[in-house]
Amino acid sequence: MELICLGLNHKTAPVEVRERFAVGAPKLGESARELIATTGVAEGVVISTCNRTEFYLVAPEAQDAFNRLEHHLAEKTALLGSAAPHFYRMEKSQAARHLCRVVSGLDSMMLGETEIFGQVKQAYQAALDAGATSNVLNRVFQRAFGVGKKVRTETSIQEGSTSVGNVAVDLAEKIFGHLKHSEVMILGAGEMSRITAQSLVSRGARSIFVSNRSFDRAEELATEMGGSAVRFDDWQSVLERVDIVISSTGSPHAIVHRADVEKARRARKYRPLFFIDIAVPRDIDPAVGEIEEVYLYDIDTLEQLAEEARSRRQKQIEECERIIDAELEKLNLPGT
Amino acid sequence: MDRWLLISATLLAVFGGAWGMVSVHRGNRSRWTVVWMSAVLVCQIAFLSLRGEQRAACPLADRGEILAFLSWSLTLFYLLVGPAYRISLLGVFTAPVVVVFQSIALLPGMLEWNPQEVAGGNPWHETHSATSVLAYGALALAAVAGVMFLVLDRQLKEHHLKSGLFRNLPPVRELLVSLERLLWLGGGLLTVGIVAGFLMPHDRSALGHLIAALAVWTGYAVLLAVKSVRGLTGRRLSLLAVGMFVLSLGVFAFV
Repeated sequence: MELICLGLNHKTAPVEVRERFAVGAPKLGESARELIATTGVAEGVVISTCNRTEFYLVAPEAQDAFNRLEHHLAEKTALLGSAAPHFYRMEKSQAARHLCRVVSGLDSMMLGETEIFGQVKQAYQAALDAGATSNVLNRVFQRAFGVGKKVRTETSIQEGSTSVGNVAVDLAEKIFGHLKHSEVMILGAGEMSRITAQSLVSRGARSIFVSNRSFDRAEELATEMGGSAVRFDDWQSVLERVDIVISSTGSPHAIVHRADVEKARRARKYRPLFFIDIAVPRDIDPAVGEIEEVYLYDIDTLEQLAEEARSRRQKQIEECERIIDAELEKLNLPGT
Repeated sequence: MDRWLLISATLLAVFGGAWGMVSVHRGNRSRWTVVWMSAVLVCQIAFLSLRGEQRAACPLADRGEILAFLSWSLTLFYLLVGPAYRISLLGVFTAPVVVVFQSIALLPGMLEWNPQEVAGGNPWHETHSATSVLAYGALALAAVAGVMFLVLDRQLKEHHLKSGLFRNLPPVRELLVSLERLLWLGGGLLTVGIVAGFLMPHDRSALGHLIAALAVWTGYAVLLAVKSVRGLTGRRLSLLAVGMFVLSLGVFAFV
């Protein structure tokens, strides 16, 4: 019996091709069972995320299994002819190694991301529940999860945030701990503010206030985020109660001055205040950062921190690959 | 035997602190520090029990015993407060303070070789001594939390966010909440100690000590009142917690 993998991902196929082969999470088990029934292979697992669709099969002969699988996909999507160059084909140890890299986040668009681990686990569980796996794939997947965990615990491949929004959210958590007791104000209803505020809300931020020169736009964004709109002339009064301020207006000059924050300090009882300035030109006067309880981060600092994390992760790749190779050598997996 | 117990407690604290620092330097949180510090506490309890038996009273009769009792109190509050607020890194910062106090306690002349029974013991006197030293344990830990805040605040202000220490320090708000609770706890215990101090029989020679105790109590009371009514920045609260603890230790070393 031989292990094979046929798949496409964000590196080999554009989204218009990937979306044609995508399988919804509720259909992963059914898809794996159908694959076995129509191609006559012994075992199968289908992994499908926004960045990849991969088919892991166990068959007596690899080339024959690839042909059958491609034929099955051509019938299902009527696309395989033109999509063929986007697919990669892997056999035996190469396929097992690829699975370990996927599970470890080494093959992800955002290097080291953790979500893929859960997605692969979900896909395997669906195939297992559908009765589409047996000895070989059970062992290969379980070992791959073990290797993935080892890679993540023994290296810093998942450490640090690699996007400006996530760096800002991590910093907010470093200052306030759990964000469920934190209130957020957005100055300027731009896209970057929206994305960053959404990340804060997803991590539990309690309430959002949106202030924008166009009140209609502020109301629109506030409704979308489940928050409240504040007239642009009134944002100083809200400063007394919020913990985090995200600013991204299109103003050509600073709109938050030291005096504005000084006025609110007494009412705030000198609690910590976190300013995230993602506007260019900057919205917040750098002198605001000199106030004792204020932590001010501008777009350049956040981008630099994200870049440092990306670079740290890049440096870890070699070590991750070494762990995967060493583990695979030790495991002597069936089908490889 | 008692001396060996204190030496063991000191060595365990050295090891726990060093282990924690190496872990933090590598970017990991040292979960073992809590275990080491628990072992420190066991040795401290054994030491104080032996001395208490010999004294037939609370073992606070010489400077060595006071420092050992203070270290015990500091370790106890760390174990009570640390895990509850998920700030086990507090152990890495607490261990060196315990080592310093206990090392001083072990210096020649600090601990009596043959402790004698305390004659004419008075319950108010013992309450005064025990609660005051317990209070100092809580206030010492507040000072430790203050130092942790100052380190984190500086790193956040200067955007130096790469160190293992930064990654392992608890959030600013949690540190400040812990610091304030410890100040309230220390302040409460100190109040009991002061009241007991007035109720115990004392002669004129104790006047200086009582005035110093009152001054320290007033200092902490003002700090807590200002924090509650007006508010204080984290940096000022931390600096004051550290400064007042060091100052009050200095006062009692000479009064």
